[in-house]
Amino acid sequence: MRISTNTLYAAGQSRLSEIQSGIVRTQQQISTGHKILSPSDDPVGAARALDLTQGQAVNTQFGLNRQAASNSLSTEDSILAGTTSLLQEVKSLAIAAGNGAYNDSDRASIATDLQGRLEELLGQANSTDGTGNYLFAGFQVTAPPFSSSATGATYGGDQGQRQAQVGTSRQIALSDPGDAIFQNIKNTGALVATPGAANAGTGAASRVSVDGSASLTGHGYSIKFTTATTYDVVDNNLGTNVTTGATYTTGQPISFDGQQVTVSGTPSSGDSFGIAAPANQSIFTTLSDLITALKTPAFGTAAKADLSHSLSVAGGNIDSALGNVLTVRSSIGSRLREIDALNTTGDERNIQYSTNLSQILDVDYTKAISDFTQQNTNLEAAQKTFVKVSSLSLFSLL
Amino acid sequence: MGSSILSIGATALNAAQVGVATTGHNISNAATPGYSRQVVLQASAGSQNSGFAFVGKGTEVTGISRVYNQFLTNQVLTAQTSSSQLSTYNTRITQVDNLLANPAAGLSPALQDFFSSVQTASTDPNSAASRQALLSSSESLASRFQGLSTQISEVRDGVNGQIGASISNINTYAGQIARLNDAIEKAQAGTDNSANDLLDQRDQAVLQLSKEVKVSVVQQGDSYNVFIGSGQPLVVGTKTSTLYATSSLTDPTRTEVGVRSSSGATTLLDEKNLPGGNLGGLFDFRSTTLDVAQNTLGRVATNLASVFNAQHALGQTQTGAAGGNFFNAAVPDVQASSLNATASTGKVATTISDPSKLTISDYRVQVVAPVSPSSATVAYKVTRLSDGVNNTFNASTTAGAATGFTVDGVDYAISGASAIGDEFKVRPTANGAAGFSVAVTDKADIALGAPIATTTSSTNSGTGAIGPATVNSTAVIPGGLSLTYNAAAGKLTGFPANQAVTITNGSPATTVTFAAGAAVAYDPTSPAAISIGTGASSVALQLAAVTPPTTAPTTVNVPSPNATLTYNGTLKTLSGFPSPLAVTVTIKGVSTTYAPGAAVPFTAGATLSFGGINVAFSGVPANGDTFKVGPNTNGLGDNRNALLLGKLQTANTLDGGTTNLQAAYSQLVSSVGSKAHEVQATSTAAASLLEQSVASQQSESGVNLDEEAANLLRYQQAYQAAGKLMQTASTLFSVLLSLGSN
Repeated sequence: MRISTNTLYAAGQSRLSEIQSGIVRTQQQISTGHKILSPSDDPVGAARALDLTQGQAVNTQFGLNRQAASNSLSTEDSILAGTTSLLQEVKSLAIAAGNGAYNDSDRASIATDLQGRLEELLGQANSTDGTGNYLFAGFQVTAPPFSSSATGATYGGDQGQRQAQVGTSRQIALSDPGDAIFQNIKNTGALVATPGAANAGTGAASRVSVDGSASLTGHGYSIKFTTATTYDVVDNNLGTNVTTGATYTTGQPISFDGQQVTVSGTPSSGDSFGIAAPANQSIFTTLSDLITALKTPAFGTAAKADLSHSLSVAGGNIDSALGNVLTVRSSIGSRLREIDALNTTGDERNIQYSTNLSQILDVDYTKAISDFTQQNTNLEAAQKTFVKVSSLSLFSLL
Repeated sequence: MGSSILSIGATALNAAQVGVATTGHNISNAATPGYSRQVVLQASAGSQNSGFAFVGKGTEVTGISRVYNQFLTNQVLTAQTSSSQLSTYNTRITQVDNLLANPAAGLSPALQDFFSSVQTASTDPNSAASRQALLSSSESLASRFQGLSTQISEVRDGVNGQIGASISNINTYAGQIARLNDAIEKAQAGTDNSANDLLDQRDQAVLQLSKEVKVSVVQQGDSYNVFIGSGQPLVVGTKTSTLYATSSLTDPTRTEVGVRSSSGATTLLDEKNLPGGNLGGLFDFRSTTLDVAQNTLGRVATNLASVFNAQHALGQTQTGAAGGNFFNAAVPDVQASSLNATASTGKVATTISDPSKLTISDYRVQVVAPVSPSSATVAYKVTRLSDGVNNTFNASTTAGAATGFTVDGVDYAISGASAIGDEFKVRPTANGAAGFSVAVTDKADIALGAPIATTTSSTNSGTGAIGPATVNSTAVIPGGLSLTYNAAAGKLTGFPANQAVTITNGSPATTVTFAAGAAVAYDPTSPAAISIGTGASSVALQLAAVTPPTTAPTTVNVPSPNATLTYNGTLKTLSGFPSPLAVTVTIKGVSTTYAPGAAVPFTAGATLSFGGINVAFSGVPANGDTFKVGPNTNGLGDNRNALLLGKLQTANTLDGGTTNLQAAYSQLVSSVGSKAHEVQATSTAAASLLEQSVASQQSESGVNLDEEAANLLRYQQAYQAAGKLMQTASTLFSVLLSLGSN
């Protein structure tokens, strides 16, 4: 083919600039460490990298949320640990107060001690976090949730529970409202068996005592005599029989679901005794009631029996309160454990994201450098041959 | 005899001189663009019958022609126009390509930072620091949207400027071609010789023109008639049409091309009819990449603003007020065509009603004849420009009433009178990014809490518990509502000003929807079902009929959704829901609605909805247990709305609920990247095709200096030989003369 001199130069130039732009590209890849310099290099990869970056950012944020949740729950737990030991001390004091050798003034000094514990407990319930927000106030974090009152303390917060987004579809509560911890405690000690209004027999029921607080359900019950000598125990909340057709013996305790009551006398068929579902009582009221009972002089058999009953009720309620605090703490513990587990998977996922991103974005240095060397050789060869070809001219020989 | 030898020598000498001159011309123009090498056409000068034989008379130069191949030249024109188009497109798209996915300047990092700060605020909603951080990151998100939008409009300005430059080049080349047509006509008149250099210049002008726009050439006599694009005549003989840049009829920021013919008539050219060259590349880039990028970005911005605002409005601020707008969303851009009838008073107002249905297309609203049968005078045809799908809506037949319709998540309200042929352009998302800004200025006005709090009474003996309330309607009025009935007008007023109201009432019952803020027609003698707000987030009220009719109420009180719900252990029902709110119970996705005031069966795990509030119950309540639903007062530590806002990051809020914000943006990056990749590849291919075409054209017409050197030698030797011939003739003549002298 006939070659025009213009073509000779144009072709040489365009080849040289083509190789040069390739070299610059490879050099940029090597110097930035990125395989994709602009989305057009790998449109799908570039878009995927953006999605992965968002995934990683969200994952990192969940990690930060977990950190915040973990801090908040740890603070709560450490305060409730104090509450636990405080309630244990209160319990020993309550047991000590039952010592028959103690006189009124001994009990009064225990009452004074308990008064101090009550205030300490109130202080714990009104704890704040690092930024001055009340921990146990639900959503109303700016005001102290518990205020002292004649019957212990009243709760002014709400039942809001702040959640933290710790995973894509997982939220963990990072606070517990104060009323669930200190206030809504089943008043197990104050159960009374009330004879039915239509009872015809002479059967009478004792106070209900608690023989197994762990089994308590908080339900209301009825003891129904189906004949004069047999009875059923019915769970009013569930409408089911707990005991059916048991044989009645006067003075023998009837036990069910952690409670015990003694019916004595001769009931008629159809008689019944109702045991109302226990009301809730706050631990502050329990302590306040105990203090009042200990301050009341116990003179005479009736007063001593009242004291003994008050002590037993207080003991039961302190047990329940302790159980309640421990339940909350175990819930906090399981939340913290879940956070730990999520942290592990979160870290793994983070590594996975980084690996995937690196696969998409990062340059393969071995390949890039060998490409670079090859392009260099190409350019050198092209330059040398171009100079040779362009210097060939018949005119130079004339 | 001697004289004939001399004259033969003279012809040879002359021919060799022309040869050297032509070779010199070729050598000197070796680098001239568009130059075709010229060759001397030489022929024998014939012979003379001398009686014994025909004796040659020497040589003659019959002409000088250029080596020119029409086919190869046309091939170069075609290759040049498509190469220029793709190279311009490539240059422009690279700007957008680099802009979008830039890790520092792209949208993704700002979007991630923003949602991270929402989440951080959710872990500590009462902290001034985290609220301030949220406000700051939303400001930087807004400035990122605006920055991207500014860069896109700078690219657009660049495109507009380049269109102007291209048009002025086209006009210049058109003038050159016309003048050369004239010069060639005159030069070649009455002769068979071709004006080679003028012809080359004209072909070169056509080639330059083909860099700007697709060209087709029809030769008529000695003149070129040049047509551009899909047949628009540019040069006819010595007459030219002039192109001019003008603003689009419906968009002042868009430069389009018009043509003024030699007679002075002007026409606007459709950009589809001007393919090829720089101009075609610019139009192509603008419509397939730039508009798409701007609208996609705008759609992400508008969607984010609308969806975030909607959730924010359901929340409660630090001061206890309902959340206002967090962002300012741009309103769709509506432009009336400047060609609309001067008497037309028609106006199109648009609002975005469903951000999930927004598309990235622009829309054309044309006023057309009504679809029969209809008594309307006109109808409105809305065309989605991306795919040409259209819908036609008849105008309201009531005099003075506005016509409304909804297309792809955008509500159109047309008022005034339009004439058939009027046109409007609606761009729902074009200004989305530019108009995206932060509305909240005080960190206390960020609604991170929810307006409703729930309480399980502490005296309850059962294990039943009420879950936290969620709110799904801005129609929830924590303070209650007082509706006033005006018996004379038969209207009920007092509904929230920002909510549409639908009422089913009357005898026979009919269902009518009233716009937000309008008085609602109401007949107290029949029961009414009213819903405030629209769709799933509406609040339902039911009003009983009043008998006798004379005691029509003047005020209907709708209490606040502040209720104490009481459990009846025997009937296993909850009662105490505020009348006249209907209650909907949803158990495992199955919903049952109970009339206002009715007792509602209690099922653990069921979700109860009334007045736009949803609450879930768990456990087993005991008889007489109570649950409270009421305003969330002092709930400064409440982060329920913050959690819901944070979830919007990965919620599928676009494309009818199939795409999240980041994915929508990634799609843009990927589609621009793919297009850029494609254009790069095709541009390289077109450039190499051009190179090949030029090489084959040059292989025929181009100057090869070695060849010219050889020619030079040849003509030099021919000249020397001719000289020798003359010398020989002279010697011969001397011999004759010397015969007599000796």
